Amino acid sequence: MQLAVELEELGTQIIEASSFLEHAEKELSLRIIGQRDVIRRVFIAMLVNGHILLEGVPGLAKTLIVSTFAAAMNLKFQRIQFTPDMLPADLVGTMIYNPKDLEFYPRKGPVFANVILADEINRSPAKVQSALLEAMQERQVTIGSQTFPLQEPFIVLATQNPIEHEGTYLLPEAQVDRFMMKVIVDYPSYDEELEIMLRSATNAIKVPVKPVVKPEDIFRARALIDRIYVDPRVQRYIVDLVVATRKPAQFGMPELETMIEYGASPRASIFLLLAAKAHAFLQHRPYITPEDVKAIVYDTLRHRIRPGYEAEADNMKPSDIIRLILQHVQVP
Amino acid sequence: MSLLTACSAAAGKTEQPSITVMVIPDNVLVGDRIRCIISISHSEKEVAALEWRDGIDTFSSRSFELISSKHLSSTLLPGSSQDKFELELAVFGAGHQPLPPVTVVLRDSKGLVTKKVVYSPPASVFVRALTDSSVRDLTPLKPPLKPQIPFLLIMPVILGAFGVAVVVLLLLFLLKRVVRKSAEKVDSSQVAQRKLRKLGSSLSAGMPPHECYEELSNIMRSFLENHYRIRALEAVTQEIERDLKKLGIAGFENIMNLLKQADLVKFADSRPDVEESRQSLHKASEVIRSTRHSRPPEE
Repeated sequence: MQLAVELEELGTQIIEASSFLEHAEKELSLRIIGQRDVIRRVFIAMLVNGHILLEGVPGLAKTLIVSTFAAAMNLKFQRIQFTPDMLPADLVGTMIYNPKDLEFYPRKGPVFANVILADEINRSPAKVQSALLEAMQERQVTIGSQTFPLQEPFIVLATQNPIEHEGTYLLPEAQVDRFMMKVIVDYPSYDEELEIMLRSATNAIKVPVKPVVKPEDIFRARALIDRIYVDPRVQRYIVDLVVATRKPAQFGMPELETMIEYGASPRASIFLLLAAKAHAFLQHRPYITPEDVKAIVYDTLRHRIRPGYEAEADNMKPSDIIRLILQHVQVP
Repeated sequence: MSLLTACSAAAGKTEQPSITVMVIPDNVLVGDRIRCIISISHSEKEVAALEWRDGIDTFSSRSFELISSKHLSSTLLPGSSQDKFELELAVFGAGHQPLPPVTVVLRDSKGLVTKKVVYSPPASVFVRALTDSSVRDLTPLKPPLKPQIPFLLIMPVILGAFGVAVVVLLLLFLLKRVVRKSAEKVDSSQVAQRKLRKLGSSLSAGMPPHECYEELSNIMRSFLENHYRIRALEAVTQEIERDLKKLGIAGFENIMNLLKQADLVKFADSRPDVEESRQSLHKASEVIRSTRHSRPPEE
């Protein structure tokens, strides 16, 4: 059976245009062992202009993934360690007085880069978090009276530690919603850990990562992703999944009504569709199937669902709620 | 405070004894003790004694309990003498408690009763109860109601109702089992074949091929769900493939080819012609026939 001519052509272009990701993946694998899913999610976010919140205990190579990714992508990388005494100006920049000219001139902050690693974002108070989240949303920064657009591609990868809450400022739901995905970084497998240990426990110089991608490759991929075909059945499936987080009884899950305090916002539908498109792109497919949606639904919805009191009492996490929803919403 | 009560039982007649009662104190808490001194003046030839009309227990039955008593005799003037009875009484009840009536008995030197006077002392004792003063009425406890119908008569009725309920539940259970068994007897492959034949007829009658593929996908998924007991209706093709691989179903590639073709039509806007659709229906029929005798997984 043949695809429609335009989709056939798009498929060929996608295969061609996505080859840079394979090169990048190969470069990343020189330094990073395992964490394939996390790397794929970072690619997805980059391809559709999204941002990622990485959650994981320390020592799982979160920073290494991001720095290696930036190096392989030939993008300007900035790591910002969030601390309680940080100020918004430390992030976006400030006006500096020049005594020679008797004038103020703007000094750009570390946010002016392509890949930002906001390390331990929850260690800084809300005003610093909002300064970064504003830059993420608006893709521009205002210093004094001047507004500077941020350079594209611009991707923020924020990290937070799930086990240590003392001296942290929990990200408000409205701000977490701006992250396209919340990815849980898990421990490596036994074999992966063995390899990590053998490869890292050495005094030898680390393998250098070659920049294998040009920003143009990313822009071309983005243009192709926009053309990926989405059947109305899949569109409805995405909306069904999101609406089911708000009105589970409509989808035959009345028991979830009290389990969810509030469900996902319309931003979830937008990001779910975008991420599914990028996932299809990574699979070299010019169309989306429900498989693409299911593949990224946990990462896209988990931070947008707030479990209710009963769910917390039953130790039910957002992932458990999403699993139930997937079991009840019929696949087209 | 003490209250002195004096009273002459028979004023004007010298031979009548004179009786005086004194109560110390006259205002007590319930359970407290009082001293009651009864003085009887009479002629010196006589001896006085006290008797209670209903015996000493009268005190007990009312609000007083006799704890101890003392008797003293003395000569006041020539020709007259006085007997003094000092009683120690415990007080009960509440409010004004009048002292009980006593009988004064006078005897001569030979022990013969010469006079007998019944005397009701006008004195009383105020007893303060140790309860809430706001409580005015005490509601008596209701005696337990006796069942109008004896328990032994109700027992058979209860047992009968219980028996009927058990029988109804048993019948429902058996009915459900029969229905399930009969449903199991309906072969899922036969159902799928029948649906495929119907779909073929619809296709010949002018059904659009893309709609035919959508229906074909549903038939195959229902068949897989019923035959192999896997969750196929809520699963994507990749998940079905994984489940079938796990079960080790022979020829699952053919099933997957059909589902993937249907996916192309459903999600990739692929437009197959009628001939392609007919061939797919034929393939589906063959796949179902080949898996008909393969055993579904054990539950």
